[in-house]
Amino acid sequence: MTVSATYDVLVIGGGHNGLTAAATLAKKGKSVCVIEKSEQLGGMAREVAHLLYNLHPKVVRELGLKGLADGKPLATVSLVEDGKHVEIAGDTVRFADGTTHPDAVAYVELTSRLKKFAALLGQLSSHSPPKLDGGLTSLATLGELAGLAKLGLNLKLLGKKDMNEFLRVILTNAYDLVLDEMPDGPLAGALCADAVRGNYVGPRSPGTVFNLMYRLGQGGEAYLPKGGMEAVVCAFESAARTAGAEVRTGQGVKRILVEDDKATGVELEDGTHIAARTVMASTGPQAVMQMAGVEHFDVEAARRIRNTRCKGTVAKLSLVLKDAPSIVGLSREQMRSRFLIAPSAAVVERSFNPAKYNELPAAPVIEAVILTPSDPDLAAKGQHILSLNVQHIPHTPEGGWDEAKRQQVIDTVVAQLEVYMPGVSASIERADLLTPADIEELTGAPGGHWHHAEMGVDQILTVRPVNGLAHYGFAVQGLYLCGASAHPGGDVTGLPGRNSAIQLLKDGVLS
Amino acid sequence: MGQHDKFDAIIAGAGHNGLTTACYLAKAGLKVLVVEKNDWIGGASVSRSLHDGWTYSNCSYVCSLLRREIVRDLELPRFGLQVIPYEGGASFTPDGDYFAYYSDHDALRREMFRHSPADVDAYERFSQTVIRQCRFIRPFLLRNAPDPSSLRPRDLNELLFLLKKAHGLGARELGETLRFWTMSIGDFLDEHFESDLIKAHIAGAGIIGTGLGVYSPGTAYVLLHHYMGDVDGSIGAWGFARGGMGAIANALGACLEEAGGTIVTGSGVDEFLVKDGRITGVALENGDTYEAPIVASNMDVKRTFLEHTEEKHLPEDFTRAVKRFKIRGSSGKLNIALDALPEFPAAPKGAPFLRGDMHCSQSLNELERAYDDWKEGRWSQQPYFDMLIPSQIDPTMAPPGKHMMTVFVQYAPYDLEVNGIRSGENWNDETRKQFADCVFDKIEIAMPDIRKHVLHAEIRTPWDIENEVGLTEGNIFQGELTFDQLLFNRPVPGYSQYRTPIDGMYLVGSSAHPGGGVMAAPGANAAREILRNVGKGNLMPSHAA
Repeated sequence: MTVSATYDVLVIGGGHNGLTAAATLAKKGKSVCVIEKSEQLGGMAREVAHLLYNLHPKVVRELGLKGLADGKPLATVSLVEDGKHVEIAGDTVRFADGTTHPDAVAYVELTSRLKKFAALLGQLSSHSPPKLDGGLTSLATLGELAGLAKLGLNLKLLGKKDMNEFLRVILTNAYDLVLDEMPDGPLAGALCADAVRGNYVGPRSPGTVFNLMYRLGQGGEAYLPKGGMEAVVCAFESAARTAGAEVRTGQGVKRILVEDDKATGVELEDGTHIAARTVMASTGPQAVMQMAGVEHFDVEAARRIRNTRCKGTVAKLSLVLKDAPSIVGLSREQMRSRFLIAPSAAVVERSFNPAKYNELPAAPVIEAVILTPSDPDLAAKGQHILSLNVQHIPHTPEGGWDEAKRQQVIDTVVAQLEVYMPGVSASIERADLLTPADIEELTGAPGGHWHHAEMGVDQILTVRPVNGLAHYGFAVQGLYLCGASAHPGGDVTGLPGRNSAIQLLKDGVLS
Repeated sequence: MGQHDKFDAIIAGAGHNGLTTACYLAKAGLKVLVVEKNDWIGGASVSRSLHDGWTYSNCSYVCSLLRREIVRDLELPRFGLQVIPYEGGASFTPDGDYFAYYSDHDALRREMFRHSPADVDAYERFSQTVIRQCRFIRPFLLRNAPDPSSLRPRDLNELLFLLKKAHGLGARELGETLRFWTMSIGDFLDEHFESDLIKAHIAGAGIIGTGLGVYSPGTAYVLLHHYMGDVDGSIGAWGFARGGMGAIANALGACLEEAGGTIVTGSGVDEFLVKDGRITGVALENGDTYEAPIVASNMDVKRTFLEHTEEKHLPEDFTRAVKRFKIRGSSGKLNIALDALPEFPAAPKGAPFLRGDMHCSQSLNELERAYDDWKEGRWSQQPYFDMLIPSQIDPTMAPPGKHMMTVFVQYAPYDLEVNGIRSGENWNDETRKQFADCVFDKIEIAMPDIRKHVLHAEIRTPWDIENEVGLTEGNIFQGELTFDQLLFNRPVPGYSQYRTPIDGMYLVGSSAHPGGGVMAAPGANAAREILRNVGKGNLMPSHAA
């Protein structure tokens, strides 16, 4: 056993949240070391994400991340078989050929209502969730409730009508909300696709309006970062390093060392012990519990952690094309858009059905973006990269993954693309598929889940990831959860990492 | 009685809620009239003799939710109401086995052990949670839902009551409560049990009457909605009303008669009459009009305001909210007269669970697939059903030696899809028969010889229930039990306390808080509000006050 060094904080996992936590603490003068098991940093932000839309301005400011989501946001184009695609650019909604869309007004009215509510909820995202441990009347809880009271006050300030509307829609489903305002079609499909993205739900599942609001937290505009997600990860890394954090890659953690119910460091897979006064982990709750030892968790906590819902549903497919892709009915300029294959809300719901039974979808919802126009360096000269998030692919299909099933997913997706991009299949030079199982294997994300833990209403705020462990501190003194499974949740926001670092400092475990 | 008589209050619709409101008002001294479109009373709490000697409870079929405070206030047992609990139920499997649910705790443990030893302990945890949640929710049923956007002292008081009760749960349970109220029954059962059959048996209560699947978030609450009742103080127990569910309506009717109220059947409300924003009375389909300063509608919120009230009397926002209120038909019924008790090859002769609720669903996935069919406008190929033979306990339901069987079936769409077109008109004798055949095929799992015992059967689709009873889309709850339509959101935000935008007009049916089931709570709560508004709040009997 070798003890290499003693740190104030060890961060397990060099995803963007781990790096954010490290940077935040290092900036406060703490000695911090990030340990990442793979050779590359970035985790899911590198492997799965391809757009930025939810990066929190506080994180951008505090970490000094510049130029990531500058420039013009991408328009969204919801594709339809008959070529009457719908283009959504901010509050401008029209057919892709420039003609007026009959539901444009309804769309803008609905989304601005949701954005207003999202901004309200956003107030809760940059703090620890309200703590109710002391009962509702204790002084400590009253302090915690002040945050909620502020939310309540702001809610009142919205006026009676908006307040009623907020309380009506907050727990409801996207399908009904959207179809109450517009007929089913590509516009409704686009909203529903965004409402289910990353989650194990269909648009008819109650709670999807919350998911949609979460996505709209920063207004919902999607950016294709210059230099790709690679550049985003580099920015987080350099923020951590500049602040003085040490970053080690290619070193997996075997277990978290606990003495007298206090975290004291980690043991690496090669047997090296690294001592630390506190340990933060950006992996999922189950993995942290396993690493620290189940014996340190009470029976109820262990049971709840095992029951965390985290069925990943998004597969990532990268297609290397030898010809520049084009879509019938779209101009060259419009090819720099975020494409959605979600022609109606009903299709989005049907996309989810097979996943419930661990079957592969026949017509999955797809979000696609061509990476190369903004980043020609990503591919060899003349090549183009089409990056796709394929929704509602089960973590493990019945009978397990094999080559045939992987090919089936690729074929299904390509067949869908062929409808809009005739000839695309002949242009494919390489297809790289990451199933949710691959994503779990590669990044350690539980279930390969986009958000590490389902963003269901039963797993957010005070009960995220589980009831009783929602304040980043994770059962063992000095052990903290800093990944997407902690409040407020997934997407490249930086908030779980930042909030957990702040909570750790507030708890005084380093003083 | 002339056709222009004046009353203190008119109730439109003689369902159990309308009758309950009428009883309370009449007992407080008001001159009350109930008008009913059908020739019989009861709404969906009805029993009729469709064939000589047979009693069909052809809508609701079992009783548990009826609030005991109301039973006491109105002395319903004195008017013939008798609820007989049944002692269990079973789910049958195609391989000739079953899971029996016994109300006897030890028997249930032994039976669960037979299917999964681990589930015995799981059941203890499960029932503790459910009972705890039932205890939490029951005090709210006979209170107004607080309006969080209001600052009136009464609303603040209700909010305070809610906070106090929530505080009483303790921190840990509060978190569990938040989860329970928002999660799916499927996830909740998966957290506890391992046996597919046991999970499927319990899950039915989470979907009955809704347009949701077992894995839709919010269905754990629906389970609670079916568990929060009681029979003789035994929480969660269900029973048969002797003489069918119509016995409840009949007892209420008798109570009303004794209190001096009047019921007129055979002609429904054509229009609610409004003058200068105030209700003045009702005009019936047969041309009669009645005047009253108070009119309460037992019809669902859509029917009341979209079909029988002139739109000009309603604020635009309100009408829009009523239009988007979700009332989805998802269930049908088979009411079957049997020439003898069918064989149950799997069960011991005379097993007590045969007198309870019987099912043939095998797993949560099967139930979820049943929901997927419904979403597309088809009846479930593997339907869920809740099947009982009440004549085993209540001999008044069928001639001696013969039996009456009631089969509640889910899912059946209101707007059936045929050749790409979804419409209620697609329900005809042909499709109705196919639907029934599909159900019979599955009943054969439990009773292989069922078909040869059938004397006559009534097939009820959501379309039929709407047309006969008047429930929009045949939805048994007068509105989905989802969070956007519960508590202060039911039926419309800002109007959750039985009032409507029209002065003197009230909503007293299941579209109002706390929702559907033969509970009578909306009716009693509405009566309390009405009496308060006419300055007679002190005349509300104490139990439900």
